[in-house]
Amino acid sequence: MLAYALLAGLLFGLYFTLVGLGLNLVFGVLRIVNLAHGDILMLGAFTAYWLFTTFRVPPLLSAALALPLFAGAGVPFYYLVVPRLLRSRDPEMLSLIFFFGLSQIIEALAAIVFGTSERSIPGSALARGPVALLHQTFPAAWVTSAALSGLAVLGVYLYLYRTRLGYLTRAVMVHWEESVASGIDAHRVSAIAFGAGLALAGIAGVLAPFMLGSVTPAMGVDTTITAFAVIVMGSLGSPLGTVLGGILYGVSLMVMQTYFSSWANLLPYLLLIGILLLRPSGLLGRQIRRA
Amino acid sequence: MHKRLLGIVLLILMTLGGSRVMLPPAGAAGAPGEITLGTLYASSGPFASISMPVYYGLRLWIDQKNAEGGVFVKPFHKKIPLKLIAYDDQSSTATAATLYNQLITQDKVDILIADSGSVLTSVAVPIARDHKMLLIDQTGTGAAFFTKDNPYIVLIADPVSSIWPRYAAEFLAKDGVALGIRRVAMVYATNDFTGTQASAFRKFIKESGAPLQFVYDEGVPTNTSSYTVIINNIRAANPDAVIELGYAGNDISFLRNLQDSGVKFKWLFAIYPGLETELLKKAVGTKALDYVYTYVPSSVISYRTNFGMSLAQFRAAWYEKYAHSNVEFGFNSVAGYTTGLVLERALAVTQSLDQLALRKAIFSLSGKLRTLDGLFQLDPTGAQIGEITPLGQIVPASAGGIRFVIVYPHSVATGKPVYPAP
Repeated sequence: MLAYALLAGLLFGLYFTLVGLGLNLVFGVLRIVNLAHGDILMLGAFTAYWLFTTFRVPPLLSAALALPLFAGAGVPFYYLVVPRLLRSRDPEMLSLIFFFGLSQIIEALAAIVFGTSERSIPGSALARGPVALLHQTFPAAWVTSAALSGLAVLGVYLYLYRTRLGYLTRAVMVHWEESVASGIDAHRVSAIAFGAGLALAGIAGVLAPFMLGSVTPAMGVDTTITAFAVIVMGSLGSPLGTVLGGILYGVSLMVMQTYFSSWANLLPYLLLIGILLLRPSGLLGRQIRRA
Repeated sequence: MHKRLLGIVLLILMTLGGSRVMLPPAGAAGAPGEITLGTLYASSGPFASISMPVYYGLRLWIDQKNAEGGVFVKPFHKKIPLKLIAYDDQSSTATAATLYNQLITQDKVDILIADSGSVLTSVAVPIARDHKMLLIDQTGTGAAFFTKDNPYIVLIADPVSSIWPRYAAEFLAKDGVALGIRRVAMVYATNDFTGTQASAFRKFIKESGAPLQFVYDEGVPTNTSSYTVIINNIRAANPDAVIELGYAGNDISFLRNLQDSGVKFKWLFAIYPGLETELLKKAVGTKALDYVYTYVPSSVISYRTNFGMSLAQFRAAWYEKYAHSNVEFGFNSVAGYTTGLVLERALAVTQSLDQLALRKAIFSLSGKLRTLDGLFQLDPTGAQIGEITPLGQIVPASAGGIRFVIVYPHSVATGKPVYPAP
C-alpha cells in the first residue's frame, strides 16, 4: 500500500506542480498574488467540459487550445490592470483585494452560466484503461495528466533558463528597477509571464476533472489555497521549488489517505504552517525573489 | 521581508477561509397579511448541488400557493399569501449562522426553514433553540440534532440518518450472507449525514448477528476529491461488499476514480446514484452506475398520496417551471416541495402561529399525511422515521440507459440482485 501511495502521490504531486506553477510565475515576476488563480483554473475546466459536451473536442486538444486562449487573454488583461496596481502605494495589498474581488465575480458568472452542480468528463476521453507503472496500476487519465504536467514544467524551465526572454524574465524577477535601468522592457516581459501564468492555470483546469473527480464554479478558492501552499512550501518565486512543493504535497496527501485518512485534508495547512515557521523562505528559497 | 510575507500569507488564508461576499438582504420583515418564511440556500460551494434543488422545490410550492391566493391559516380562517425571505450562505457554516440569526432577530420570520443537508442545518439547531424558534429541518438528518429536551426542531422531508441504512444493512445480513458476502469495507465522509449512516450500518450489522466482518472502515474529509489510493487500499482488503457514504461530490469522485482505475467490486453501495441520479449520470456517465446499489428515492417511486401533487404531476410542474435552469430534478427537489406540503397542512390545523403550537400541528400529521415523499411519520424527538427508502440496484436498460430494481425489502422488491456485479 505504501508503494502505491508514494507513486500515486508522485502523479498527483506533478499535477499540483502545474496548478501552482502559474501562480508562482506571476508572483515571481510581479510580486502579485493572483487570488483568482483557482478561478482561472476553474474556467479552464469548464471550457474543456463545454467543448467536450458540446462539440466532443478531446481534452488534449482543449489543453492545446487553452494555451493561446488564456495567454491571449492574459496579456491585454495585464496591460489593463497590473501597471495600475503596481503604481499604487501598496501594490501587494491592493492586488490581494483586486484579485479576491475578481475571484468572486468569476465564480458568480460561472455559476450563472454552468450551474452550481458538479460536472465532469469521462476519464476515457483523455486516455483509456488503467496503466501499469512499477507493478502498480493507475488510472490512465492520471498518468496522462501527470505527464502533461511534467511537460509543462519542463517547458517553463526551458523558457526561463534556455531562452533570451527567459533570461529577461529572471532579470525582472531579481530586481524590477535594475532590469528597467538596464534597458529591459519590464512590462512586456511581465505581460508575457502573466499570460503564461494564466495559460498554465488554464491547462491545469483542463486536467482538473480527471485529477479531482469533478469541477464546480466554487472550486477556485480551495484550489488557490492549495496552490499557494504548494508554492510557499517550495519557495515563492522559484519554479523548481514549486516542483518540490507539489510532489511533497501529493506524496504526503496520499500517504495520509492511506494511514490517517480522516485527517488528510489538514495536510496542506499543516505543511504550510510548519514550513513557514521552520523555513520561511521555503524549501529551496534563499531569498524571496531569487529566480 | 519574511515577516511581511508571513503577514500576507495569514491575510490570504483569513480572506479565503473566513469571508465571503454576501448578497444584500432580500427584503424587510413580514408585513401584516403575509406569512413570512425564512430560509437559506447555497448557490455555490460543496453543498450547492443538494441545496438548490430543495430551495427550488420549496419555491415551486410557494409560487403555486400564492397563485391560489395563499395558504389557509386556521387561526385567521382565511388564505394568507406567503412571503419568502431567502439568503445565500454559499455553503459556509459561518455565513449560515449569521444569516439564521438575521432571519430570526432582524427579519422576524414566522417560520424558520433550514438549508439543505446536515452540515448547513447543524449551525441552525442551537440558534433556533436559543431563540425558541421551531426549526423546520428539511433534509438535515444527523441523528445528534434530535434530543428529548429540544422541542424546537422537526425533520420534514428525509428520514433521520440513523435509519437510512436499515434496509441496506438488513439486505447484507440476510440476502447478502446467503449470496456469500462475508467481508465488508466501508469508507465514509466525516460529517453528520454520512457519519451517522456509517454508525447505523455498523449497529444494524452488529445487532443482526450475521457473520459479516468489517475489513476496512475509514472516514475521509467531506471535501475529499481523490479516492484512487483509498480504492486501492480497499481492494487490498479483499472485500465482498463495499459501502461508500458521501455527498454528491464524494460519490462522483469515488465512482470516477473507480471506473478509471479499472477496479471492480462485487457489491458496491453509494448514496447519490439514487438521490441525484440525473446529476450522477451527467457527471460520471451511466456505465459507472451499472450494478451500483443505492437508496431508491421518492423521485423514482410513485407513492400513493393523500395530499399535494403526485410524483408525475410534480415532475411535470418542475420541468415546466425550471426547464431552462441548471438545477436537476431529483430526490432533493421532492424534499423541498414536501416541506411546503407539510407546512401547508400544519398551518391549516394549527391553533396559533406560536412556535410550539406549530410543532404540535406538525406532530398531528404524523402517521396520517402521505405525500409524494412517502408516509410522514415522526418520533417523539421530531426525527422523521417515515419516508424510508428501499434498497435498489441500478441495472443497464435499453439504449444505454439505466433503471432501478428494488431488491429489498422483499415486500416491495421488483427484481433480484445481480451478484457479483459483472
